[in-house]
Amino acid sequence: MAHHNTPVDIHDEENYDPTVWVPKAHSHGTKGLWKTFWILLILTILDVVFYFKMDPSMNRNILFIALGVVKAAFIVYSFMHLTFEHKSLKMSIVLPMLFVVYLIAFLLTEADYLNGLIW
Amino acid sequence: MSNTAVSTKSTWAGGKSPFKVSYGKLMMWFFLLSDAFTFSSLLVGYGAVRFAFPSVDETEMAKLREELPFGTDITEAYPAHVADGHAAHGEAAEADAHAHGNSFVETMQEKGLFDENHWPAPELVFNHFPGHHKHWPLMFVSLMTLILILSSVTMVLAVEAGQRMDKKKVELFMILTIIGGFMFLGCQAWEWTKFIGEGARLYANPFGPVTFAALFFLVTGFHGFHVLSGVVINIIIYINVVRGTYEKRGHYEMVEKTGLYWHFVDLVWVFVFTFFYLI
Repeated sequence: MAHHNTPVDIHDEENYDPTVWVPKAHSHGTKGLWKTFWILLILTILDVVFYFKMDPSMNRNILFIALGVVKAAFIVYSFMHLTFEHKSLKMSIVLPMLFVVYLIAFLLTEADYLNGLIW
Repeated sequence: MSNTAVSTKSTWAGGKSPFKVSYGKLMMWFFLLSDAFTFSSLLVGYGAVRFAFPSVDETEMAKLREELPFGTDITEAYPAHVADGHAAHGEAAEADAHAHGNSFVETMQEKGLFDENHWPAPELVFNHFPGHHKHWPLMFVSLMTLILILSSVTMVLAVEAGQRMDKKKVELFMILTIIGGFMFLGCQAWEWTKFIGEGARLYANPFGPVTFAALFFLVTGFHGFHVLSGVVINIIIYINVVRGTYEKRGHYEMVEKTGLYWHFVDLVWVFVFTFFYLI
């Protein structure tokens, strides 16, 4: 721990104090952020266009969910800067989301059963 | 903890951050991961209920689309017939005719397009826009999506300004983000008011299955409360920025952390939009 009479260098990795340590911030510019904005806008417009131009079907639903996942990936990687983070953090956040795939698989089966109960 | 021989320590031996982020930011990421599971459960649960019900008859829907093009005046096309007792389906439909001066919901019920055993087409449920009574399906929710995406952009611009220690720019973009948050909340309040005014409740739904209305209020309410708390946190951080708290601290990481939360709220909306308004 740093002594109280000397100023703490909050960026010093050799003198790590978890209560204050923070890596030195540096900007990655705004160009990529605006690009992400236009991509999100275009994908949302595509959503609405597909809604009105395609007949309702399971394939259309899968398309909507796929577009949602693409939008989410852009938000997480660009807006939330995950692409600039260390690999260990990236993996800790992205890999656990695979559990959601299990949840979807189980509940689709359950919904089919519910459907059978109702009809 | 010991500081000796730091440079020879391996990644996971302590004495440094294996994730190369501050403690606070790491915990914000883990909180958001857990919150992502919460919303996944809600939305996948919604998907299961949706999948358990068949959609309304597509040939009937196609006929209706011919009869009800974009921009049709609902009040003119479906005039109220309150005195005509037999046409009203339950109290909710009557209340609708009284409150809105049209018989849109009743007519859809008669056509079998709003039926408790079939999932309604979202374009017939969410077709309102403030300022007029025209049929504008999904336009209002698209506007809400645009507002939230734009407020995400201003938030990330505030984060970027903070990385350059540009206090004035952080203030400007934080205030724009807060305004965007309030605009979104206002839109949601208007939509809820409209939906409740037409008879939708946690226990009743003139548009279709009751679970549809119940889950709509539950999930958009849960998301809306996230937006509200995000706005409150943003206001607190904004006050700290103005007071120079982060200037003195030497970094604007708190703006980055609240930014992570704000972007997560936007991310959840992407899926709320997909599941409730498209599927």
